Amino acid sequence: MIIQAIFIVMTLCTLGGAVGVVSSRNLFHSALYLILSFFGVAGYYVLLSAGFLAVIQLMVYIGAIAILILFAIMFSRESAMNSAKESQANRQRWLGLPVAMGLFISLIAVIIPVNWPIQQTAPTTDMVRDLGVAFLTSYLIPFEVVSVLLSVALIGAVMLAREENPPVKETK
Amino acid sequence: MTQLIWLVIALPIFGMLFNGILGRRVGYKVVSIVGPTMVFLAFLVGFGAFIETIRRGGVAVTVHLWTWATIGNMFSVPINLLVDPLSILMVLVVTGVGFLIHVYATDYMIHRDELGHVHPDRDFSRFFTFLNLFIASMLILVLGDNYLMMYVGWELVGLCSYLLIGFWYDRPEQAQAPIDLGADHEPIKLTPLLSPAASGMKAFIVNRIGDVGFALGVFLIWQTFGTLQFDKIFPFAKFVSENSPSAIPWITFLLFIGAMGKSAQIPLYVWLPDAMAGPTPVSALIHAATMVTAGVYMIVRSNALYALSPTVSLFIATIGALTALFAATIALVQVDLKRILAYSTVSQLGYMFMAVGVGAYTSGMFHLTTHAFFKALLFLGAGSVMHALHDVIDIRRMGGLRDKMPDTYRTFVIGGLALAGFPLMSGFFSKDEILAKAFEFSPILWGIGIITAGLTAFYTFRAIFLAFHGQPRDQHLYDHAHENHLAITIPLWILAILAMFGGLLGLPSAIIPVPHLFDKWLHSIFMAHGEVEAHASLLKELVLLSTSGIVAIGGIGLAYFFYVVSPTIPQNLARQARPLFNLLANKYYIDELYHEVFVKSGLGFAKNMAQGVDRLIIDAVFVDGLPKLVNSLGQMLSHLQSGYIRHYALATFIGVLVMVSYFFLR
Amino acid sequence: MPIIIPTLDFAALIPILAIITTGLVVLLLDIYVEDKAVLGYVSLIGLLATAIACFGLLTQTVAPTFQNMLVSDGYSLVLDLIFVVTATLSIMIALSYLPARDMQSGEYYALLLFATSGMMLMGAATDLIVVFLGLEIMSIALYVLAAFNRRQLGSGEAGLKYFVLGAFASAFFLYGVALTYGATGSTNLQTIAMWFSANPAYAHNPIAMVGLALLLIGFAFKIAAVPFQWWTPDVYHGAPTSVTAFMSVGAKAAGFAALVRLLLVSFGAIPDWRWVISWLAVLTMTGGNIVALAQKDVKRMLAYSSIAHAGYILVGVVPGTPDGVKGILFYLMSYAFMNIGAFAVIALLEQRDQIGSSIESYMGLSSRKPLLALMMLFFMFSLTGIPPFIGFWGKWYVFWAAVKGGASWLAIVGMINSVISAFYYLSVVVQMYMRSPTEPSELEFAPLSLPVTLTIALAGAVTLLLGLWPTPLIKLTALGIFG
Repeated sequence: MIIQAIFIVMTLCTLGGAVGVVSSRNLFHSALYLILSFFGVAGYYVLLSAGFLAVIQLMVYIGAIAILILFAIMFSRESAMNSAKESQANRQRWLGLPVAMGLFISLIAVIIPVNWPIQQTAPTTDMVRDLGVAFLTSYLIPFEVVSVLLSVALIGAVMLAREENPPVKETK
Repeated sequence: MTQLIWLVIALPIFGMLFNGILGRRVGYKVVSIVGPTMVFLAFLVGFGAFIETIRRGGVAVTVHLWTWATIGNMFSVPINLLVDPLSILMVLVVTGVGFLIHVYATDYMIHRDELGHVHPDRDFSRFFTFLNLFIASMLILVLGDNYLMMYVGWELVGLCSYLLIGFWYDRPEQAQAPIDLGADHEPIKLTPLLSPAASGMKAFIVNRIGDVGFALGVFLIWQTFGTLQFDKIFPFAKFVSENSPSAIPWITFLLFIGAMGKSAQIPLYVWLPDAMAGPTPVSALIHAATMVTAGVYMIVRSNALYALSPTVSLFIATIGALTALFAATIALVQVDLKRILAYSTVSQLGYMFMAVGVGAYTSGMFHLTTHAFFKALLFLGAGSVMHALHDVIDIRRMGGLRDKMPDTYRTFVIGGLALAGFPLMSGFFSKDEILAKAFEFSPILWGIGIITAGLTAFYTFRAIFLAFHGQPRDQHLYDHAHENHLAITIPLWILAILAMFGGLLGLPSAIIPVPHLFDKWLHSIFMAHGEVEAHASLLKELVLLSTSGIVAIGGIGLAYFFYVVSPTIPQNLARQARPLFNLLANKYYIDELYHEVFVKSGLGFAKNMAQGVDRLIIDAVFVDGLPKLVNSLGQMLSHLQSGYIRHYALATFIGVLVMVSYFFLR
Repeated sequence: MPIIIPTLDFAALIPILAIITTGLVVLLLDIYVEDKAVLGYVSLIGLLATAIACFGLLTQTVAPTFQNMLVSDGYSLVLDLIFVVTATLSIMIALSYLPARDMQSGEYYALLLFATSGMMLMGAATDLIVVFLGLEIMSIALYVLAAFNRRQLGSGEAGLKYFVLGAFASAFFLYGVALTYGATGSTNLQTIAMWFSANPAYAHNPIAMVGLALLLIGFAFKIAAVPFQWWTPDVYHGAPTSVTAFMSVGAKAAGFAALVRLLLVSFGAIPDWRWVISWLAVLTMTGGNIVALAQKDVKRMLAYSSIAHAGYILVGVVPGTPDGVKGILFYLMSYAFMNIGAFAVIALLEQRDQIGSSIESYMGLSSRKPLLALMMLFFMFSLTGIPPFIGFWGKWYVFWAAVKGGASWLAIVGMINSVISAFYYLSVVVQMYMRSPTEPSELEFAPLSLPVTLTIALAGAVTLLLGLWPTPLIKLTALGIFG
């Protein structure tokens, strides 16, 4: 019963936050709603007895990514902080709505009736250790490859952020 | 020599590379030596192989060069050259006539001014590059021992044709003076002649339509037989036709669609008259003597298949006969000398298809050969006139040229007699043979053929009398006209001799007790069940022969009466039958019809799709709604260059929705 | 619980390691070397070493390595060679293209090499997680490369568009991985196949099917299949030409590499995807060709035509036979030569401060630069599929495989489409050979510098010679079998 109540609260956080992100007219507020949504997801992890993932979720998504977004907004556009004029919707919304709904309905229709294969063994108790072992044994290659991915992203980011001469001319 | 037959192809390719890469640097004189020499050497090699083939008694030899590709363990394409009587005949025609035309072109493609200074064409070396490439491609077509090489050659000759039609790409379209019907009658307006560039495009597009058919036919052959080698297909044709009766008719029909395009038969003949926008040597070589006969060659080569599909053969004979008649009627009233010859080419090709359609493959090849001689001769003669008159080709501005250009005149008349089927000329025997075989098959076909023969004699001599006889109609042109140099007149005379005596290769054996050389020569390429033997009786043969002769002479006589004795008759006739005359002069308005039906709708469709699919539908139809479409078209066009991510994303999502729903609902 | 250190077969990783190492070396040298062209040559040496390693491994016996995450089989090694060829030719273009536009920098080569390593991972991956990581390494490097020309807004726009829409595709792909895992309990390609054969009743499990659909969408985006092609023209057009050459071939080949392995290994027993791929092929061929007809800019025209080529290759996917796979490999290799060759010509003719190259710049090229025009003619003919150029064999091979695999109708659609494509490819030839040149003063051309000239010559020679004698390439691609 309590679990269900927590689940509902977390769902409200996740979905409400998500709606807030896309509907708020203020970019800064959107970013704050995003934190709320991330928080809800972290709650799900706790409910699924994945405490470690929940902590990671809080640290990485809220602690790092969302904060980064907030900084970026504050640095880049003053107006985004205060003004509340810009609508997030465009003329496309009336077409976008049915498409999104259609996709949603078909995915729901797929997911609901399925008998998901349920793991018989009890959930692991020592998740950090299991993750570590997995990274060094069966997921060794993906683990190493991620480092390449990260360095590529790093180089790319530096490349794009580096000061360079302004564009010579605008092209269409 | 037989083992060296690859040289026949390699020599013109060498010429092409030399002229293409170094041509500009070494100057036109070197080019005009290298170009023809390569073709002549190829001819010599071909001739050597010819002698050896005679010694072998016509046995086919396959020369393996290399294996082009082997895919998996089932599909392999060896590059083999097939030396047999049929391919050697084609090699001799292509290189022999090709050489003469190359020589001719060395003079035709330069201009001399009043002071005798020589000005070679701006793209002299490019011309010989393409011409050599054409010879090589045509030889690939005829020497290949499989349908894939034939297809490769088929595409390559089409490409050369396209490049050479549009050779003078910067020349504009040419208006044609209306046909004058006397003072108080409205003249008949003529559509302008297409520019070379447009003509090239037209030829290309029409040929592509045929080529799709040909490619599908080759594909079907491969699917049916599992191979494209001639020697692995033909022996099994009978077996296949018994097991899957629909395969061979489809194959032959699809291949024939290719032939319709390349050999200019109804309904795909429309490109050939416009192809005359190319330089005259090209018209002579590609659009009269060799390339356009590729369709006939292909059917004769595939005779084992065609003999097994009588329905398609009947269809071919019908198309051939109709084309022959149809084109001949158009040729009656044309005023452009080259176009008269072009329609006559279409018409003569119709004869050849009629022949192969009724199973008279030898007769088709015989006519192909004699036609190569006399039609090349006629085109070169027309070119000679053009060259002398500074590119004027309208016969209404000529007249009386026989005094000024005696060699051209004499050879042209010889060619004309051969085309008209004047007794004892080469065209007489070959055409009569076709008509005799057609008579065996069906008197209706013979009837169409004999009417066409009469029309042919008439329009040929109409052109001759208008151009060379009578009084000069354009005194200025007449005064400046002159006979051409030896490089032009010698090929004319050689071809004239061939046009006169080429008939000796196939004298009617029923009447004259000498062997039909052509029959004997080509005998081995036909499967046992191939050739329909015509067992005409002597009397019948004599009657048919003399009928053709009389019709030919009658046609010539009528032309003499109309255009020399009382030149007012044609004008009066035209006035009387103005609608008919108008229809013929405008070529039955077929070009206009095609333009309306196919070109316009096709272009419109492509344009709409191009602009619409990518952005307009998303941007305009869905977002702005149709009413705004018209208003914002200009805006739209500027939007074309920068699409919005949101539109892309939306479109992607629609795709996702469709895809997910498919897998879900399936 | 002690950790059991798994056996590691680094030999199988040599090509990928060689590329990544070269990339790192280039980054390090970037600090010390003033003349950045040196870095390009260093990259070429690394690529050469990679190619040698691939040839060496081709004779080795094949076994899945790294806990069945990767495999070094004939298929992956032939693909590695395709990627190496693509990267080599693109770097050679860049060696001329970048300095002419003051864009020369070491990061360019490093990113290009990393992107190549991502492609190789996709070719070798036998686990969806590795496929995804390879996809991301490739994509992120390409996003940055597309935006590499900072002087032109068009380039930045290309990078941003590619990034935003690419992120969508990644999300779909990842969701597809998740659903497939949910349905089958594994991300390993072979284990998924085993699950399907062990549970035939679940063969039409909607979760697995929707998972497959989402995976297909992810790939369809990367290979630019209609209707997921929207980004392609803008990105290919806006990106620096040397990058466009690279990604038009490399990203496509990598997408096909993983797609084919996924469909044939994991979903081979489930034929539902055949129909979808068939229709994607039809839409892609036709859509790409029809829109390409209307283009006035050669670079943009090639962008649309590359969509059409993805369609032809999809035809080879449909039969799902070894012949189809070999046909695809053959096509990709031939496409690498002819398409990059064509882009090299564009890179050479592109005006310094302009995007793309209008068809006017090709007017009368045959009289100004006869050999360059001849090479472009080779590429255009080959892309059309006119024999005896290599492109003809690529088309023939995939269509042949389709016919043999019972999809003749697709081969016919493909043939009709290659007829349509003739019109726009040959219009370039017409401009070059049958039009008078524009005034030379109007157009300034980058000087013919050696690397790009060499690229064009090499690609042109291969396009012709392998067309005349394709047996070596056919033999090579015949080794492209799954381990």
